[in-house]
Formats: sequence, structure tokens, C-alpha cells
Amino acid sequence: MADTVQEFVFNLTFPFSRTLGSTLSTFSSAIAQGQIIGVRTGGRVIAPPLEYDPDTAADSGTDWVCVGPKGTVSTWTWVPEPTNLHPLDHAFGFAFITLDGADTPMIHIVDAGSESAMSAGMRVEAKFKAPADCDGRIDDIIAFIPASDPSPSEGAGEPFDAPAENEITEMDAFSDLRYVDNASPTTIMWAKALMEGRIIGQKCPQCARTIVGPRGMCSVCAIELDESHVVEVPGRGVISNFTIVTPTPYPGQTETEPFARCSILLDDADAVIAQQEILDVPVSEIRVGIHVEVVWAPENERSAVDIDNRSRGSGGDIIVGWRTTGEPDEPADRYLDRMM
Amino acid sequence: MAPSENDIAIVGFAQLPPERRTNLTESDLVLRSTREVIAQVGIDKSEIGFTVSGSCDYLSGQGFSFVQNTDAYGMVPAINESHVEMDGAWAMYEAYVRLLQGDIDIAMAVGVGKNSNSDPSTLFTVEFDPYYLTPLGTDTWTLAALQARALIDSGKATERDFAEVVARNRSNAKSNPFAQVKGDFSIDELLAADYVRNPLRRHDLPPTTDQAAAVILARGKRAYDLCERPAWITGIDHRIEAHLPTVRKDITTSVSTRLAAEAAGVGKGPIDVAELHAPFSFQELILRDSLGLDASTEVNPSGGALAAHSVMTVGLIRVGEAANQIIKNGKNRTLAHTTSGPCLQQNLVCVLEGDQ
Repeated sequence: MADTVQEFVFNLTFPFSRTLGSTLSTFSSAIAQGQIIGVRTGGRVIAPPLEYDPDTAADSGTDWVCVGPKGTVSTWTWVPEPTNLHPLDHAFGFAFITLDGADTPMIHIVDAGSESAMSAGMRVEAKFKAPADCDGRIDDIIAFIPASDPSPSEGAGEPFDAPAENEITEMDAFSDLRYVDNASPTTIMWAKALMEGRIIGQKCPQCARTIVGPRGMCSVCAIELDESHVVEVPGRGVISNFTIVTPTPYPGQTETEPFARCSILLDDADAVIAQQEILDVPVSEIRVGIHVEVVWAPENERSAVDIDNRSRGSGGDIIVGWRTTGEPDEPADRYLDRMM
Repeated sequence: MAPSENDIAIVGFAQLPPERRTNLTESDLVLRSTREVIAQVGIDKSEIGFTVSGSCDYLSGQGFSFVQNTDAYGMVPAINESHVEMDGAWAMYEAYVRLLQGDIDIAMAVGVGKNSNSDPSTLFTVEFDPYYLTPLGTDTWTLAALQARALIDSGKATERDFAEVVARNRSNAKSNPFAQVKGDFSIDELLAADYVRNPLRRHDLPPTTDQAAAVILARGKRAYDLCERPAWITGIDHRIEAHLPTVRKDITTSVSTRLAAEAAGVGKGPIDVAELHAPFSFQELILRDSLGLDASTEVNPSGGALAAHSVMTVGLIRVGEAANQIIKNGKNRTLAHTTSGPCLQQNLVCVLEGDQ
């Protein structure tokens, strides 16, 4: 029996460069120099600063105020086992910390050594990265630590004189999310058939449409389909639609030249399989109506690792692509107004 | 009551059994839940004038999963369809508003969440403030714990109160065939567990659940064709507070819940049963207080969100459970609540009433 994958691990990664706007770039440029600031708006100092007064939605303005580096914890929690997203690799606290000179708290990390050291009212002070490592982010403060001297911060509450132009106007934000999906019964059925060199669909008992690859349902009648509805279809069909993709560089993109992706309506099927590659037709000559047939990978090179729930109708590494059969084209207008 | 053409009712509700890990896809779950509710009210799918779902691509990790999910509606000929990147309760709200336009009589709202593909301790970090919170790895559990600690320090509740909420919900869940976490637990037993985020223990956190649910709404007299005793929506409102919990005046109360409750007319009469979406045990205490519920209201006979918590579905199930109290259990006036965002940021309150 052909091997199929039961679980798929995949990561969605998003590298962003966020523009900061005037308020956040003022904050970032200041914190990179070791100065935390807030903004006075609506009669109170919000730190870190927000662009808009959360109560009134009025522009917060530019009445910058120096805050910290010491502050007072108002509420706290403890993380006994940090995740990969947390900046510290040992147990630590999170807290609302109202910095000296501020009226609203900020959320940050407290590296207190032990849970028992945490309490509302505790005095903490910011511990910064080395100046050369600061790049204007909230995590330029490695953590807050218990204040060695609880007295008020020097200079807190004083106006902050922002430069005419901020040095830092963008921030890199890299998101990396990990997922573990499991193969649905329909996906397993599809992958197994492909490994055996068979293309299958499901025939709806109500509307008699054959849908390839199987979806576990008839998406016209909205009824469940299962193994009893499986039919085998030939690995031959006609290009019913296509698009030419001009690749733009992005992380993970391996294509450099324009390429075609085609929808193919297989003989005996009522729904196309999409995103297919034609192996022996130049991009400029791809057209609707061409007869094609499947090109399988040699049996010992087939792998179902890429056949997951997201790739419905995809042949993964099992179908190498499609080649022309040499038969005369079908009239293109036969494939107009196709819905699927 | 003789309904006016602007009166909208829940007339059917179906939920799938909650699972810690299903091997079905979201589309499969949508198909099964919608098939069931359509059969329950005895209509043909072509009679549905508007269909709307609530789901989130980030949960299953599949871009445009909500588009693939529409396969389950059978969209030939084309249907009138919409989607919210919110819990299905907000899909229900959109269906309600859509029915108020007066040109259709029946709408269907769906919630679906395959939550088990991702890790709830890290996933939601990406939905928080990208400048001040996400770089620190601030997670949902942490923000809830900060709120819980503030509640304790305010003197309004204790860890024992949290454990009592858990024990009562899990006990209630024993009679709910759609509960994932249920059973008898002693308070002392619960309090002996380790903290995940002080002062919250594992049982104070929501379970991870894969599930789907669907409701059918009907307008005016049409409701009686589909349901003997419709659950009329007599008040519904949704309020939002600042995203950053640090700029809210007092996180030991929920201003948005109180305002939504006032606008929905919660206080106009007694509430027999309230189904509250409190993902974290202690939030039920904040919600009861902010909704103005007293001891005469039975809270979460289903076991609530601590019994099953499929993000994007759990709120719609609160609506369905509250509706079923009227449709099946003879209650007169019930309340459904749903929350979204960190520390009860957004709250939807819905009041349902039966004919008397």
C-alpha cells in the first residue's frame, strides 16, 4: 500500500517592515537613545505614547514627556515556561508598569528571579540593551528589574525635546507561525490513489457531476460524498483556462521567469483541476483547447509529502506535469462560462 | 405575540460534537453543521436568502480557508453570502441586520474553527499591538492573568472564586452532550494545581476545541413555519473598548459589556438563563457584574466556554444554547454573550424572548 502523510507541519512566515508614523518614530528614536517617553493628552500622560487619545480619538499631539526609567507595578503575572516568542529563556514576570512621570501603565517584562518577588506596588527599573544593540523597539528594554533604589526617577515628567527629524522611521516585524494539520480522509484517499498512479474524483448521486480531486462533498448540492462515491478518471483532458504568472521576488519564491498555470478539465470530469504545469508548450503558446495527458513521476520517485488539505487537486511530486497529446485542439468557446 | 415584519428570531441551531482534534477540514465541519440545521428546520437550502460565516484563516493556517468553506453551501445558482473574521456570533449579528432590510425571510449564520492546528499559547500574539506587545511575545494567557491579578488585588474575587466557576461549569457540562471538558471536581483539588500564568491554572484557561455550529434566523410570521416557539431577538448590541488594556480605566470591570447590555435592554425584565462567553474562568465574574445579573439568573447550564472553546464557534454556540432554552426548554427570556480581543475588549450581548 502506498505511503501517505497523516500530519503536515508548515510554517507561515511574514517578514514585514512597518512604517512608524510621527508618534511611534518619536518613541522609537528616543528609546534607541535610552530615553522612554510618553505623550500628554487629555490631561494625562500616556506612556508609551499613542497617536490618538483612546478616550476621545483626538490627535494626541506632540507634548512629549520623559518617563521612567523607574516605575511601579500595578498588576503582574508569572511565566514559568517561556515560549519561543518570549525574549527571556528563563521564568519571568509580565506586569503593568506605570513609569515615573506617566499616568497609564505599559506592559513589559519583569526579570525578578522568582515569582515570590512579584507584587503590586513593587518598584522596578528598565534594563536596556547595550547602546549599540538598541534599534528603537520596545524590546530595547531587555526587562525591568527590581529597583535598587526606590526613589523617584530623575528627570521623569520633564518635557522631552524631540529632534526635528526622527532617526528611526521603520521597524522590522518578523512573524513565524507554526501549524500542524492532519490529513482529512478525503486528502488521504486522493494521495493514496495518486501514489498508485490513479486520478480519482467523486460522483455526486444527486447531480451526477464528477468532481476531481475529491472534496468530500458535492459543492453544488451541498451533500457529503465518501469512498462509495469514488470514480477513477483518465489522466487525459483539455486545458480550459490558464494564467501567465510573472514572478515577483518574495521569500520562498523560486521562479524567476514567467510561467503558465493551467486549469485542466479531465475527460469524464465536471470540475477542473487547477494550477497545473504544461511541460512541452512554451508560455507564449499556451491556449485553451489543447489536449494534454498526465506525466507521472517514476514509481520509486513519488512522494505524497506535499499533498495536504490545502492542495486539493494538486499532484504534489507525484504528477510531474502534463504534456500535449498531439490531437487537434477543441474549440475554445466550449470552455467559456465554466464555473469550476 | 404577533410578530411584526421587523421581528427576527432564531428558529434552529445545530452544533457538532466538540473535539480536541478532528481529522476533518473546516469545509467538512461547515457542511455537516449546516446540513443538520437545514434539516432541523425542514427547509430546502434554496429558501435561505443570506448565508454568513465567521472564521479565521490564522487558526487552521490556511489562506482563504473561508472561501474554500463556501463549497459546503452548494452555491449553484450563486447565493448571497458574506463572511466575518470574527466569531459566528457576529455572523449571526450580520444575518440579523441583513434580515432587517425586509426583502428576505430566512438567513443562516455559521461559525467554524479548527483550532487544533495551531498553538493557542503563541498564535494570538500576532493579533496584538505590533509595536508595543507583539515584540515581547505578549500572549493571551498573560493578558488574561494580568486582568485576573488586578481583579484579586481589587478585593472583588479570590482564586477560590475562580475555582468555583470552573467546578460549577464542569459540573453543568455533565448534562451537555456537546461538552468536551466535564465532571465533578473539588475546589481544593483544583486549587492544588500549578499556575500556568499566576494566578491562573490550566483549568482557568479555555480548552482547545475543533467545532462548528450553525443557526437559522427567520423574519416575522415566517418564523412559525420553521419553529413552534421561535426565540425572538428583542435586543442586540456590540461595544468595543481600547485594544491596549493599559489605557482602559479599570480592567476589573467591563464597560463595553455594561453598555451593550443597556442598549440590548437586559434590565427590562428578568433573565432566566444567561450563556456567557468567558474564555477564562474569572471573566465570568466580571461579566455577571457588568451585565447586572443576580442570583435569579442561571448562568451557563451548558458549561459555557470552559466546557468547549472553539475560537470562532464558541460565541455562536452561546447564542444557540440561549435560543434552545426558549425553543426547547420553555424559558421566556434568555441572554447570550460573546467576547473577542484581549481582556474582554469587545462584547456582544443578545436578548432572546419566547412568546408568552
